[in-house]
Amino acid sequence: MSEQAPGRPASAVRQIFLYALLTVISLAVLVPFGWMLVSSVKLDAQVFTVPIQWIPQEFHWDNFTRIWSRVPLAKYLMNSLILSVTITALQVLTGSFAAYGFAKVRFPGRDALFLAYLATIAVPWQAYMVPQYIMMERLGLVDTRMSLILLQAFGAFGVFLMRQYYLTIPDELSEAARIDGLSEYGIWARVILPLSKPALASLALLTFVNTWNDYMGPFIYLTSNDLWTVQIGLRAFVGVFDAEYAMIMTGSVISVLPILVIFLLGQRYFVRGIATSGLK
Amino acid sequence: MKSTIMKAVATATALLLTVAACGGGDEPETTSDGKTVLTMSLWNYASTPEFKALIDGFEADNPTIKIKPVDILAGEDYAEKLTTMLAGGDQTDVLTMKNVTDYARYANRGQLASLSDEVAKVDAAKYRGLDAFKLNGDYFAVPYRQDFWVLYYNKALLKDAKVDLANLTWQQYADLAKSLTTGADASKVYGTYHHTWRSVIQATAAAQTKGDLLGGDYTFLKNQYSMALDLEKAGATMPWGTANTQKIGYDSMFSGGKAAMLPMGTWYVAKLLTDIAAGKHKTEWGIAPMPQVAAGGPVTTFGSPTAFAVNKKAKNAAAARTFINWATGPKGATTIAKLGLYPAYTDDAVLAAFGAVQGMPSDPVAKKALAPDQVTLEMPISDKSSDVDAILTEEHELIMVGEKSVDAGLAEMGKRVKSEVS
Amino acid sequence: MASTPPTLLEPVVTGAARPAAPKPVRRRRTALVGWSFILPNFVGFAALTLIPIVATLGLAFMQWNSYSTPEWVGLDNFRRLWASETFWMALRNTAYYAVGHIPLTLVAALGFAVLLNRKLRGIGIFRTALFFPYITSLVAVAVVWNMLFSPDAGPVNQFLHAIGVSETPGWTTSTTWAMPAVIITSVWRDLGYYMVLYLAGLQTIPGELYEAAEVDGAGPWARFWHITVPSLRPTTFFVLIMLTISSFKVFDLVQVMTEGGPGRSTLVLSQLIYREGVREGRFGYSSAVALVLFVIVLLVTVVQFRVQQRGEK
Repeated sequence: MSEQAPGRPASAVRQIFLYALLTVISLAVLVPFGWMLVSSVKLDAQVFTVPIQWIPQEFHWDNFTRIWSRVPLAKYLMNSLILSVTITALQVLTGSFAAYGFAKVRFPGRDALFLAYLATIAVPWQAYMVPQYIMMERLGLVDTRMSLILLQAFGAFGVFLMRQYYLTIPDELSEAARIDGLSEYGIWARVILPLSKPALASLALLTFVNTWNDYMGPFIYLTSNDLWTVQIGLRAFVGVFDAEYAMIMTGSVISVLPILVIFLLGQRYFVRGIATSGLK
Repeated sequence: MKSTIMKAVATATALLLTVAACGGGDEPETTSDGKTVLTMSLWNYASTPEFKALIDGFEADNPTIKIKPVDILAGEDYAEKLTTMLAGGDQTDVLTMKNVTDYARYANRGQLASLSDEVAKVDAAKYRGLDAFKLNGDYFAVPYRQDFWVLYYNKALLKDAKVDLANLTWQQYADLAKSLTTGADASKVYGTYHHTWRSVIQATAAAQTKGDLLGGDYTFLKNQYSMALDLEKAGATMPWGTANTQKIGYDSMFSGGKAAMLPMGTWYVAKLLTDIAAGKHKTEWGIAPMPQVAAGGPVTTFGSPTAFAVNKKAKNAAAARTFINWATGPKGATTIAKLGLYPAYTDDAVLAAFGAVQGMPSDPVAKKALAPDQVTLEMPISDKSSDVDAILTEEHELIMVGEKSVDAGLAEMGKRVKSEVS
Repeated sequence: MASTPPTLLEPVVTGAARPAAPKPVRRRRTALVGWSFILPNFVGFAALTLIPIVATLGLAFMQWNSYSTPEWVGLDNFRRLWASETFWMALRNTAYYAVGHIPLTLVAALGFAVLLNRKLRGIGIFRTALFFPYITSLVAVAVVWNMLFSPDAGPVNQFLHAIGVSETPGWTTSTTWAMPAVIITSVWRDLGYYMVLYLAGLQTIPGELYEAAEVDGAGPWARFWHITVPSLRPTTFFVLIMLTISSFKVFDLVQVMTEGGPGRSTLVLSQLIYREGVREGRFGYSSAVALVLFVIVLLVTVVQFRVQQRGEK
């Protein structure tokens, strides 16, 4: 189950079996992505056929070069990047900061407030998007990047996530630091944050992915073409009566690459052995 | 550790401020050289040529006005965003009404300015579909484009068919479809392709039997459904369930040579012309009038207009009206006719321009198809249209996947419309 | 909006000693300090999210078309909702989806996390592969799964035929089988996500516990049940809460895969809220539906909290 206990050699047969099993599962799980790849080099009319053509009749590799001029994809990618990075940075920062208050500092009304935070997650966005839009319009923020940043950087989730993590960090550590004369802010920065790297990494990754793939928020709030993100840009290929699915798939493949890279590079951060913090 | 965090905070703040600085911003009412700026909501500006053509043509004739397009995406999203924008008090001047159901919603909410004055000035007889926009005695939009439904056919696949395409009845159509079906599996060519929209069956029947889609009694749809399901059972058209779940596109079926016939709207003409000119395929296509219930009578089909409306909160209402007059009148009509799009306003000059488009079919059958005697609105306009549309779509799905028999489905339609729609 | 990211684990709380109770003078300063931490996030959150949500919950008692002034109608929206067949169908469908999606995803995520929590060369690639479904375009997901579920030509039914099932389900073309099809697709899509959380949770289980158990002669299954599962309880609790909330709010996948069809057989509450509100302009009514959804989710969450607290005793 967990890491092999030291002293027992892993049998070669077992290893091969494991690799085989994992490979099969991985391939099975990747089938839709495979379809995306295959569709991205087809002509629109060939994308949805019955039966599905897994091997395209013709390979239109030029889709990958044409898309950059069909829509300003580079600009859209840049916009997506700006938004994702800013929102992720702010969420991680304000979330971890606020979480400390909820987890480590006792004051009246704390738990009730936290419950209010949690409760808001239960309401689907479709329900309050119009009142929220009207409010943003009054603030003059519609059609600016600021609107999305403000809306998504301060959320219940980052707080929830980090708070749960902080609860597991023993109070003795912060007590010791307090005795040493550190202020609460110092404790947060010097003691708590370094211990929560996996949590921070997870929060950062998941926030980045969700912001990068977010369509509805940018669609409603970003009207000017200059501000459009990749997800909006791809929908531009959907017409009134039909859609250019090949281009959409080409764009989707390009759009997925940054996330892939980030995940591949970052996934070891959440499974790195978390220092069980001086308990053992 | 602390300095890393401080750096991170500093970077984030700097980023935030830079980013915040580049926003959309307020658009000025006039450009630097004193022109009035008119804003107009539309979709897919880059890939919908009619908007650019209308804007360029208008600006050429009216040098003191500049039009700024507000590009919203197509599909369901357009209505959703427009609703949200208008809820927030948006002041976009010209609002494009994608279909009559959307129009009904905005008009009923009082979000559109009255255009009855403009309508009074025009020769109403030359406008197809103008009546549809009359709501409580007032007009809140003027159509600039009127698409209606015809029968597309693959000339190569039909060259041996001995039928009079100009005068098909549904029975002849069904027999023809069955005879044209060939092959199996990957090489199958269907006699015809019925797209998954409910209008393909329902609007056709409503137009041709003069049935009321808002009425609550849908027995008039029975023959059309029976015909369509019969063709499915005989294998002459793709099963609805398959077409729907696999998101089959009518263009890929027809231009890919997988269907010999296709009932579809006239907007497809422009797409065929563009695609063939660009070399995407070489299908020899023709158009015929929609098949009718009985032989020898007038050609009745259904259609849907696209219109322009003026926002009640528009900044430049006067300029907006000027644009609408131009775009929906003879000049605008000629502009879009040259793109192969069928305008709402037609006179001889406009029709000549339409017929002169490169590649436009000009045989007598096509000419008859392009001049139907009666074009009924796809869905009557009322404050109930949207709700009824939802119910009809749901029950349509159940009939077409075979969960309900035609009679049971139609009965359920009637029952639900009567009880659920106030 | 961005679909809310699920949370992190809550590793084993190993009975830390509580700090001494603060003196009264320190209490006020502590309150100030506490608030100073929360304020940056809270102000933004309260202004931009809490207020619209409260407004929406209030709209449930009014009639509003998004343009004119809202007018008070008391419980009318709720009466309408009570009498609406579509509402009850949506509620049933949502509950059906939740009951299917939650346990299956949890088990799958846990199973894969355990499977992938080992030092193997290239294990990162397999973990990435399982995360892929979550980042793949929804359109691609919907199309491919619809194809897999295709009643006549799809591999799923062909496989079922091969093992002797005579009447294969219609999947997304059938009102009975459409929701199971959606559930299966959604489990496939979400498991990688929750797997990441479980992976992190597994890291906190000290290896010594397993060693000791092996020395005592416990087999792999016993080790799993008596060490892994209990140690993961905080993580499981958290995953459960997040799964519950997001299951009740599900929208995107259903919208793209079946649009609520055939008929209304996969129509879920979020779709109803969206339809009634943004499409039809009945914002008062859609807010009432949202309020009902909110209350239900809250109740389920409170129950889960209680169960967890009792379990911890």
